[in-house]
Amino acid sequence: MFSMKSLVRSTGIFIAMLMLLMTMGVEAQADENVLVVAKGTEAEGFDPHTVPAHSSIQIYNRVYDALLGISPEGDIQPELAKDWEIIDDTTYRFELREGVKFHNGREMTSADVKYSFERMVDPDLGSLAKTYFEMVEKVETPDDYTVIFHLEEPFADFLINVAHTYAKIVPQEVVEEEGDLMDVAVGTGAFKLTEWVPDNYTLLEANEDYYIEGLPRVDALRFLIMEDESAQIAAVRTGQVHITDLSPEGAQILRGRPGLEVVEYPSFDYTYWAFNVTEEPFDDPLVRKAMSYAIDREVIADIAFDGFADITGPVPPSQELWAVDISEYPSYQHNPDRARELLAEAGYGDGLEISITASPAYAYMVDTAVVIQEQLRGIGVDAEIDMVEWGAYIDAWINRDHMSMVGLNGGGLTPERALYFFFHTTGGANVWGFSDPEFDDLVERGRVEVDPDARYEIYAEAQKLLVNELAPNLFLNSPYSFYVIAEGVEGFEPTSYKSEGFFKHVTIDN
Amino acid sequence: MAIKEYLIKRILALIPLGLGVTFLVFAAMNFVPGDPVRIFLGIEGTEELAQQIRQDLGLDRPFFVRYFSWLGQLLQGDLGYSLLTGIPVSQEIARRFMVTMQLALGGVLFSVVLALPLGIASAVRQNRSSDFVIRIFALIGVSLPNFAVAVLLILFFSLVFNWHPPIGFVHLWHEPLIALQILILPVIALGTSMAGSVSRMTRSAMLEVLRQDYIRTARSKGLPGRLVIYRHALKNALIPVLTLVGLQLGYLLGGAVIIEQIFSLPGLGRLLLTGIHNRDYPVVMGCVLTIAVFFALVNMVVDILYTFIDPRIKYQ
Repeated sequence: MFSMKSLVRSTGIFIAMLMLLMTMGVEAQADENVLVVAKGTEAEGFDPHTVPAHSSIQIYNRVYDALLGISPEGDIQPELAKDWEIIDDTTYRFELREGVKFHNGREMTSADVKYSFERMVDPDLGSLAKTYFEMVEKVETPDDYTVIFHLEEPFADFLINVAHTYAKIVPQEVVEEEGDLMDVAVGTGAFKLTEWVPDNYTLLEANEDYYIEGLPRVDALRFLIMEDESAQIAAVRTGQVHITDLSPEGAQILRGRPGLEVVEYPSFDYTYWAFNVTEEPFDDPLVRKAMSYAIDREVIADIAFDGFADITGPVPPSQELWAVDISEYPSYQHNPDRARELLAEAGYGDGLEISITASPAYAYMVDTAVVIQEQLRGIGVDAEIDMVEWGAYIDAWINRDHMSMVGLNGGGLTPERALYFFFHTTGGANVWGFSDPEFDDLVERGRVEVDPDARYEIYAEAQKLLVNELAPNLFLNSPYSFYVIAEGVEGFEPTSYKSEGFFKHVTIDN
Repeated sequence: MAIKEYLIKRILALIPLGLGVTFLVFAAMNFVPGDPVRIFLGIEGTEELAQQIRQDLGLDRPFFVRYFSWLGQLLQGDLGYSLLTGIPVSQEIARRFMVTMQLALGGVLFSVVLALPLGIASAVRQNRSSDFVIRIFALIGVSLPNFAVAVLLILFFSLVFNWHPPIGFVHLWHEPLIALQILILPVIALGTSMAGSVSRMTRSAMLEVLRQDYIRTARSKGLPGRLVIYRHALKNALIPVLTLVGLQLGYLLGGAVIIEQIFSLPGLGRLLLTGIHNRDYPVVMGCVLTIAVFFALVNMVVDILYTFIDPRIKYQ
């Protein structure tokens, strides 16, 4: 009894049982026409008018439609409105599709459009879309299928905002029955929210009454929550998941694997090194400009993103229509001598001690801060990295409780967001204490200029002014985004403008 | 009945425990930097909007007002609502508790089934080769942190067998086979270190007992070896082992926080962690309270089990 032999034997039996269990047939949903997508973060609720989290947008974007949509090339296209007309600078007329039904079976009409836009600007709701439509004076509904918007003043991005993710059309009776739209979702979209089991999965079934014949082409979408990237990679390799997004490192691992396709596209996001411009030493534009000459954006891209990132100004190059070429920015040259001169001119010739706040929540943030620290050493600037937890990081960001910080901004479809939202004196995300009357004047003109060419000129001037003279932030890299797609899945084609592709066009060939 | 009184005393003792734990956690959640509304909004939304949401959620009220209103709700059996999703916390905890239980009890089962025979074998064959092998494995088990075991298991199975546990949790009583496949690696990862300590504890307790006179008496009156070990020795060696198992179950709940994260299991630990990241204090409070009460109850059950194992133990 209890001999070495019996020990070895029972270990053997245990391992054999384990392997038997592994091989016992659980086929990964292979026989169903269900698209399985890995999702890194759980949704925070599904109200399109109040929840900004990307994890929530991933779901409610499938369930709700807006009046207009954005094509993969960035053009405005019909969604619930089949046609639209700009009557004058402040009057827009939309003609709705007829016979579109909400998932509860009721027909969607102009009354729902009016209700949804009124809900978005209702001060009691606290909607993020409020600032997008504050200029709307009134919404008229002459008949069931016509909606007319009257604006108080011209607003160049009005149609873009109407196509925004937040600007979904919701049914009034559901809001009234449920109180809010956090854990229900009744839209007109290609998919219906069928089941939500937090931290486990979200199931969306095809909407059989969808207003475009023949879509969607799968029976259901199943989002599985997997936070760990190694779990996501293992799941896609073993065929349990059809699509997942990836980090650059993950993409490198999976590139060229048989049965998998890695796709990439430039994103609208960019990383920055931002300064608290209300305190020494970064209240001096000379010091900020010196920093720009001291760092090498190419090296940061290589280390933080494995080279999969473009060098960017305030408007990322992926926004081809609006971005100024980086050759227009002299301080993008890596030139430590010039940096030292500028520092000396600013009175810091004997060296300088600074701190950079970053959060380990994102690897690229840490990498960016570390590379900057290293490069500053070359010009006699001693940088200390202040690593803080994500909640504390947001606190430091919002309360300007830092000397400088690295971070990521998400871009919009036009420079309105990149320039006004982040840098206008009253911009919603101008947390740097930055204020410049000349710049303010430019972006105020830009937001009401409806002629695209004239608008481009204004925004180009604003970009150059921001980078070459004022430098409230140093704009660094605009990273690529990556997806891996299993063989047999067709029609999922993400672009910068449509980063999640079109789930309704996807087919699975098992 | 003495045991009844004892039980009532123990249960009453839970009240100060609960108060202390909830107050400490509430204070910690309140005083660490980070604002739930800002974490929710990210860079979107103005300060006015943030202020309005804070007001709606009652976050603008002073610390003690919020704590006592939370406590007041608790007395009515209401754990409140998640700040983020608005889902009732009790509903969320009920759903996740069963997941964590399957994981933790699986871990206990795995470690006891594995470690008890090994510990006995090790004691009976003291200083022989199998004793050394078992002791080395037990030492490795105790020393390896569970997250390391978890990652090693995932890597090993996916690289060598191209196998990964099915994703998307199902309960053991719905689809036993899939649930077993989902749970097997997390259970091993969670149970390994407990197996190590249980096997070490069993070995030393058994060695102690085996030296006792009554064992020699049992052997000398000709009882078969197996009977001596299981009937006479093991039963008496079980008390320290049982204490250890009870305590370890509490640590397993702590370990589950990390294991659930690595294996994407929708359990209590994952809820707690997300709650902390988002400063979603009703969720954090609910989770901590559940875990604390559960831990206390398990230890109470262990204390009662003593009386069955050793009738000499009585509670007055």
